[in-house]
Amino acid sequence: MMMREATLEERKRFYLEEWNQHDIPDFILHTLSLREFGFDLDGSGPSNRYNQFLTVEQLGDFLRSRAPYSVYASVALYERPSAREGWLKSELALDIDAKDLPIKSCGCPPGSVCERCIEEARTVAQQFAEVLAGDLGLRNISFVYSGRGFHVRVNDESVMTLEGNERAQIVDYVTGNVIPSDFTMALGYSKVFRDRVARTFSSLGEEKLLEVKGMRRSLARKLMQEKARAIEMIRKGRLDELSSFESLGPKTLRNLLEFLTRMNSEFTDGKVTIDTKRILRLPSSLHSGVSMKCMVVRDLDRFRLEEAVPKFLREGVR
Amino acid sequence: MIAPEYLAVLDPFSDEAKKIVEASPQLEAMPSDVIEMAVKRVRWTAREMLVEPNVESIRAEVLSFYLMCQAVAAVSFPGSQEVRLIGSATRDTLRYRMYDLFKRGQEELCMRAVKRSINLVNLEVEEGVRVGRSVIPREDFYKLRDLKLAEDGLETVDDRILPQYLPKYAVRWTDLAPLLRHRRKELTKLYLVGGWAVITPRDLWDLYADFVSVRMEEYVQSVYERMLELGAQPSGVLARVGERISSLVPKEAVIREGFTRGPAGRLRPEFFPPCIKLALNGVGAGLRNYAVMMMLTPFLSYARVAPSGKVATRMADFINDISIVRDEIAPFLFEAAERCNPPLFKDQPQEKAGIFYHMGFGMTTEPTLADSGRSKWYRTPNCSKIQMSAPSLCKPDEFCRKIKNPLTYYFRKRYEGTRAG
Repeated sequence: MMMREATLEERKRFYLEEWNQHDIPDFILHTLSLREFGFDLDGSGPSNRYNQFLTVEQLGDFLRSRAPYSVYASVALYERPSAREGWLKSELALDIDAKDLPIKSCGCPPGSVCERCIEEARTVAQQFAEVLAGDLGLRNISFVYSGRGFHVRVNDESVMTLEGNERAQIVDYVTGNVIPSDFTMALGYSKVFRDRVARTFSSLGEEKLLEVKGMRRSLARKLMQEKARAIEMIRKGRLDELSSFESLGPKTLRNLLEFLTRMNSEFTDGKVTIDTKRILRLPSSLHSGVSMKCMVVRDLDRFRLEEAVPKFLREGVR
Repeated sequence: MIAPEYLAVLDPFSDEAKKIVEASPQLEAMPSDVIEMAVKRVRWTAREMLVEPNVESIRAEVLSFYLMCQAVAAVSFPGSQEVRLIGSATRDTLRYRMYDLFKRGQEELCMRAVKRSINLVNLEVEEGVRVGRSVIPREDFYKLRDLKLAEDGLETVDDRILPQYLPKYAVRWTDLAPLLRHRRKELTKLYLVGGWAVITPRDLWDLYADFVSVRMEEYVQSVYERMLELGAQPSGVLARVGERISSLVPKEAVIREGFTRGPAGRLRPEFFPPCIKLALNGVGAGLRNYAVMMMLTPFLSYARVAPSGKVATRMADFINDISIVRDEIAPFLFEAAERCNPPLFKDQPQEKAGIFYHMGFGMTTEPTLADSGRSKWYRTPNCSKIQMSAPSLCKPDEFCRKIKNPLTYYFRKRYEGTRAG
């Protein structure tokens, strides 16, 4: 999959020929006039803020005439979006950026993205959404492919008035960022934590394991050799059995758990979730940095990256 | 059978309680038993916390609660030792009342009080344990009990106590938002299924007691801000009751506070609100006087001295070293004045004395403690006044939505910052 920067001509072509207001999801369309819009007009950053559009036609006119590099809309709804005043409520949003995943099985350097990174980001987004719906009982959860990862956006009234502190606790819960007092319960946070730790552990290599305080190479090697057994123990909540691995004492086990927990928290950018005035890339717009469409994903399992390739790139490849 | 009015005892913010407050006498005419109760309730133990189910007792209970809150707002500030003291007393009182009512078979009354604020259901415990459409595995049900027992350090309990530790209810976790916001509860410590947090009777008492305690703290904050807005000195009764409550703050807590605040509570600019940070960066010609004299001088002096325990009229009542004013507060102000365009004291050197005047030392550039009280110690204007007088300085962040005065912002942020470690 080719990912390259779009030219100004390509941006113009995209907004004139391909952009469609019907690609804006209802949760944004129905509250369009209450959101703040931000633009990066030339690739220097989203410095054009405090914009309000009363109708989607006005927004369309703006996009066609300016062909911005990036388009953003606030997760917040305001009485006066053009002044960012009169906050009413905000979506709950989680940002899973494939370029920032803490572990990449593909070996991409940090800051780079390949299809495999995006595939991994998709899995993380799916796991987060399952906890949001299952444990937290939230509804109206949408996925957005952002161009380099996924946004999980929740429009459930029961969480939209929550403030930063509460949202931070949701991040902790969903990512498995706190070591629980019990590892064995079949449901609840205990299970979320086990799943997250098992996933993170399964992606680790021997070298990464050596970053754990007190981890000796021989032990790291052993854990990697018998990874499947270790993961089974974690999944079943039998963490004490991990000490059956030679020289994995309680102190190193604790260090390992803390290490994994810290890594868990890096699968999403918590600052995005906590910030109730955040602007996020507008679904339907073009991510010009990688020439991909930011779009709502109706069925995450079936989503194929090709769906997000703009016409100018497809035709260029031909 | 306990009368419905008794709900005011379990929920001081209920309509029943509000009716009692609306019909209350003026502060100066408050019955002496209510005044005594407002102070003593801070130290209540066990049975003292209970209220007889008669109109007079309920009335005294509600009025003394409100008097306690308003008195503390008069002599301290949000997040102060006094607020924490009455918050903790309120929590203990509510928890004991809930426990007592359960013990006497009045669970239904408690549930009615709780259900007004929190979505609460009973677990269905028949063939399986269910909440809504979710089934809770039997093992988890008993593990939850054992975790709670372990938390309380209990190895064995008799049959009378055991039911208190068995999961019995579920509450919507989103209704616990005020507790999550104030870090009284952590989401990762709740057992969540389908949006419901599964809890035991003991959890219910704790949750509800914390809930009322948080609302009480928010009420004290609102009274404090109203008093700042009015600029009026608290009445004699409020001041006297407030000072008596303040004298009950445990000494070790005062020492600890002094320690955590660093040497005599140095200012923590990282907790300043946006408007104060902007003003400290210097402002233009039309705003200089307002920013430095009316905003920064009161803000920095109150924030640094954090007057608590007495009605704040003289700074000398709260400090015993003038270097706090000269070496800590004043330099901030002079630097901010220098950053103005043009620098404030360049063309208005007499305003240097104005800074000390606004802190209550009269017109002087060499204040001493003996000068304290020569002029009025100005209070920090409320956000609404700043918005009108200096709209360009009002760039609210998310936290600003919770407060009405820049000082409240600082005290709350500092308190939360200290709690978060």
